[in-house]
Amino acid sequence: MRKTLAYLGERALLALISFVVLFPIAWMFLTAFKQPRDAYSLSLIFEPTVQNFVTVFSEPWNLGSMVLNSVIVATVTVAIAVPCAALAAYSFSRFRVKGRKFLFFLILSTQFIPAVVIVLPFFLMFRQLDLLDTRIALIIVNLAIVTPFVIWMIKGFIDAIPTDSEEAAMIDGASRLRVIKDIVMPMAAPGIMTSSIFCFILTWNEFLFALILSRRDAVTLPVGLVSFRTERGDLWELMSAAGVMITVPIFIMALFIQKHFTRGMTAGAVK
Amino acid sequence: MKDRLLPYWLLIPAFIIVLATTIYPLAYSFITSFRAWDLTKSRRPEGFVGLDNYLYAAGESQFLNSLWVTFVFVITSVILTVVLAMALALLLRRKGPMHTFTRIILILPFAMSPALIGVSYRFMFNPEFGVIANGLGAVFPALQGVPWLADPQLAMGILVLTDVWHWTPYMTFMCLGGLASIPRETEEAARIDGASNLRIVFGIILPQMRGVILVMAVLKTIFALKMFDQVVTLTGGGPGTSTETLAYFIFNVGFRWFDMGYASALAWILTAIMMFISIWYVRMLLSERKMATA
Amino acid sequence: MAEVRLVDIEKKYGNFLAVPKQSLTIHDGEFLVLLGPSGCGKTTTMRMIAGLEDITSGDIMIKGERVNDKPPKDRDIAMVFQNYGLYPHMTVRQNIEYPLKLRGMSKVDRKARVQETAEKVELDALLERRPSELSGGQRQRVALARAIVRTPSIFLMDEPLSNLDAKLRVTMRAELKHLHHELGVTTVYVTHDQMEAMTLATRVAVMRDGKIVQLDTPKKIYAEPADLFVAGFIGSPSMNLIDGAVQSGVFRADGVELPVDLAGCKGVVLGIRPEELDITEDAGAAISGKLYALELTGESTLVTLRNGPSSVCARGHADFEAEINSPCHLAPKDGARIHLFDRATGERLR
Repeated sequence: MRKTLAYLGERALLALISFVVLFPIAWMFLTAFKQPRDAYSLSLIFEPTVQNFVTVFSEPWNLGSMVLNSVIVATVTVAIAVPCAALAAYSFSRFRVKGRKFLFFLILSTQFIPAVVIVLPFFLMFRQLDLLDTRIALIIVNLAIVTPFVIWMIKGFIDAIPTDSEEAAMIDGASRLRVIKDIVMPMAAPGIMTSSIFCFILTWNEFLFALILSRRDAVTLPVGLVSFRTERGDLWELMSAAGVMITVPIFIMALFIQKHFTRGMTAGAVK
Repeated sequence: MKDRLLPYWLLIPAFIIVLATTIYPLAYSFITSFRAWDLTKSRRPEGFVGLDNYLYAAGESQFLNSLWVTFVFVITSVILTVVLAMALALLLRRKGPMHTFTRIILILPFAMSPALIGVSYRFMFNPEFGVIANGLGAVFPALQGVPWLADPQLAMGILVLTDVWHWTPYMTFMCLGGLASIPRETEEAARIDGASNLRIVFGIILPQMRGVILVMAVLKTIFALKMFDQVVTLTGGGPGTSTETLAYFIFNVGFRWFDMGYASALAWILTAIMMFISIWYVRMLLSERKMATA
Repeated sequence: MAEVRLVDIEKKYGNFLAVPKQSLTIHDGEFLVLLGPSGCGKTTTMRMIAGLEDITSGDIMIKGERVNDKPPKDRDIAMVFQNYGLYPHMTVRQNIEYPLKLRGMSKVDRKARVQETAEKVELDALLERRPSELSGGQRQRVALARAIVRTPSIFLMDEPLSNLDAKLRVTMRAELKHLHHELGVTTVYVTHDQMEAMTLATRVAVMRDGKIVQLDTPKKIYAEPADLFVAGFIGSPSMNLIDGAVQSGVFRADGVELPVDLAGCKGVVLGIRPEELDITEDAGAAISGKLYALELTGESTLVTLRNGPSSVCARGHADFEAEINSPCHLAPKDGARIHLFDRATGERLR
């Protein structure tokens, strides 16, 4: 009797947690498909429409160009940060060179630096170089946040790979670089993939840099949300539609790396 | 001989990135923090003013307010997140289809853009057509028509809520990782010795989770200190300045009032706080590890 | 001629001396086993030969050529690792093929060589599998195949059998022995298992604290251990070591009285192997005490008796039976080797 009660209690608790997690997301998705008049009522019964999506992708909102900005900024950031970070992570993981600890600490500690500190000088520099409101500017500042983080993460994954196979390859006749290319990178591929997705999510969701450094041309999706606050008030149904556009690709990626999620993050943190 | 230099070659690309994107701007803003530079008046930095910017901050009520707001925010959000995450992890570590489902969906809040979270909660707490505001009003008549985001305390509460909603899942994953690394035997031995569930949690599990909890608390503290995104999209720092966190205040000084010198000094105060916590964190971790190996 | 010479090599990690200065020559075609407990420097020594570890001072000569500064790939060696070191993302075929590929062998030749090698170690049916789909023994074979495929002049094996279960270990041991006989390649083999060392080696180097304490054929090492450490390390069950003293040609300890070939000395440890002791009814036998335990091993019974602090084990007939705690007597067999060691230094006295 007590057991069944505990069992039911646990189920109920789990259901409640799932509800708390899913409700805000679900409400946003529902609102995105509501007509404006339904969006301001609380009814669950409504005639679904894709009109909001059509609206946000057309003038004056132009969500399409924001999507493009977000995709380009996130992709290029990942494409630059991950390869560089992977090489550095390998070096940190495998070699005991002089100054290694200091360098690693230096790179890690930059992760704790608030973005506001970095963005001030960048704003001034980009203004000077006429790079304000460009994707390049956003990519550069995003690298600052993402690179140390990815080094840390990939190092965790490489640390977990036993060195046996690498040594075997060296004896089999491979040079260090060849070992990295033929053995380490394929073995670390799942970890590198996970780190890349993580890095993509971070950049995609990045708000502060984009808010300060973009105005019109380089605006990314999260900053785009703010533009739905008009003099007429907040246009919730359009915000929700934009929110769905921000969320869906990231959710798919997040679920894809779900299994590696903790391993990558906690390994570095706890050890 | 080429092999001896390889470790350094591998570090160079990443190091250049870090140098150019972090170290250089840091140095730049550090120097700027000792200058007067009102961007609305001058395109170039004006003269050095020594510690003036820092001294000014010490007496400025709006800065002190933002410090206080940040402090309140950090304390409540860290405690709530860590405790909730620990409880969730204890619940979720068992196997079962519902457990698995909950674990999977838990990743969603963390993947969601914080700016978007702010927007969503602003919508849901809208007194007229917000689903939570109205839902609560329907269940508890006393809460009908409460101007949630227009009340300083409630606005802060909701700001904390969005942050807890965003971070608890991730912290839960960290906890689950920590729980998985505790050897099952100690718990089983205690169970055979006749310990109750509560005793096992407080007597056996939590003491072994100290290291993980410490890491979580410090990581969360560092991220909470930087709180910015939801402030912009949820409260705009208001009502008044009641939710104006330090990061948001610096943003205002720098990009509304364009006082670069003062903003740089404020940014460095925030950095100093974070550095202090980080160093303390590394120290704690090291001593914790010594204890574990001893 | 693939001879390996270590000349005055030394290895330090910071201030920690892992391998003190010493020399060792491994003859062409020899199967040399580095034997010792974990942490004795045997793996470090092998890794220095492989080039995976720098040497602090001294020279390593392979085939008469100094290789100190050569990377592993240029030393013409192959190595089998304790955890096999397979490439998990490659199939068995690709694993075996990899060293050939690195040496720029043509595709056709590679295929033939892989096939030939795989047949030699009975892997030909598994070539398209991945390491994760293989059993421990099969993985071990892949590691072996990868080592022999390019006919190196030296094999290095780092505890290659330690991850296998007991039964498989014995089978693989025989295979390794056969393979060495067939290929005749100079082999250096690291193990902590004295049984493996005894069965496989041409010569055994017993190591302790980084130092080679005895280098000899297995037979010699078994019969004439150089010191107390070797005496206790080799043989299973291990040699009985009894603390006592010698006075006018007789060794005495609690319940032990045995004439020995030594005039007199305090602080002596007497060693005698269990298989060189007989169980007797004779109350005046050299060793007496109370029966402590009987362990049937199948082909024999291990009889342990105790007297005071000393306990002595003898290998008796499988049928032997007696009451525990009953008095029991042991006598050395005719022609039994009795070893005497200095307790303080561990050195062999006789």
